[in-house]
Amino acid sequence: MSEEPIWRRDFPYTAAGEEGVTRREFTRFLVAASVTAAGTGGAAALWASLRRINRGEPQEIVALSEVPVGGSHLFDYPTPNDPAILLRPEEGTLLGFSQKCTHLGCVVYWAPENGHLECPCHEGVFDLSGEPIAGPPDRPLGRIEVEVRDGTVWALGAGTEATA
Amino acid sequence: MRRPRATSVTTALLVYVLLLFSLQLFLLAVAAEAFLSGEPSLAWAATALSAVLALTALLFYRYLRRV
Repeated sequence: MSEEPIWRRDFPYTAAGEEGVTRREFTRFLVAASVTAAGTGGAAALWASLRRINRGEPQEIVALSEVPVGGSHLFDYPTPNDPAILLRPEEGTLLGFSQKCTHLGCVVYWAPENGHLECPCHEGVFDLSGEPIAGPPDRPLGRIEVEVRDGTVWALGAGTEATA
Repeated sequence: MRRPRATSVTTALLVYVLLLFSLQLFLLAVAAEAFLSGEPSLAWAATALSAVLALTALLFYRYLRRV
């Protein structure tokens, strides 16, 4: 049971908003939120440090003869949920990229007439090294290392520099 | 009419804590983006700065309880 404070007996008047939050209480809430924000950031950092990034196992993609010079081939790597694209901009050059735009994750496509990769969602543009050259993306596309073995293109791993 | 000192101090501390918390929201966004892009070092840096700000807010609150 809460006792009525003495001052309430001496000053028995109320005002609108008297039950509102005081500045001290609001400051206390803010401090609690501040500690929570720091803790949430720490949890995100810890999770980012501990999680394993699947870079994939070597996987056969397509026969080299099926990829025309100046063309592309779509595949999934390292998991069926990771769309990827194989480019053959010129004879002897093969490039593998994740198709996920580094802006908001839309699927990028090869625009041979312009010689670069484009994201249709927000008009992001990436050059043949995967670096963003126009639009909102500010990070390069994920690279997939590719190699030709006996006339077949193989993906060797994600997140590393590609080789022709 | 002058405001009581305690009221002024409370208001000032509230403004300081509010500013610190605003910065922390920005740092939280940085940590979230670092998490999504797989850059733990950036997330840790944002967290360290956020922890310093939270500690400062706690010190302000400790002082507020004495006023």
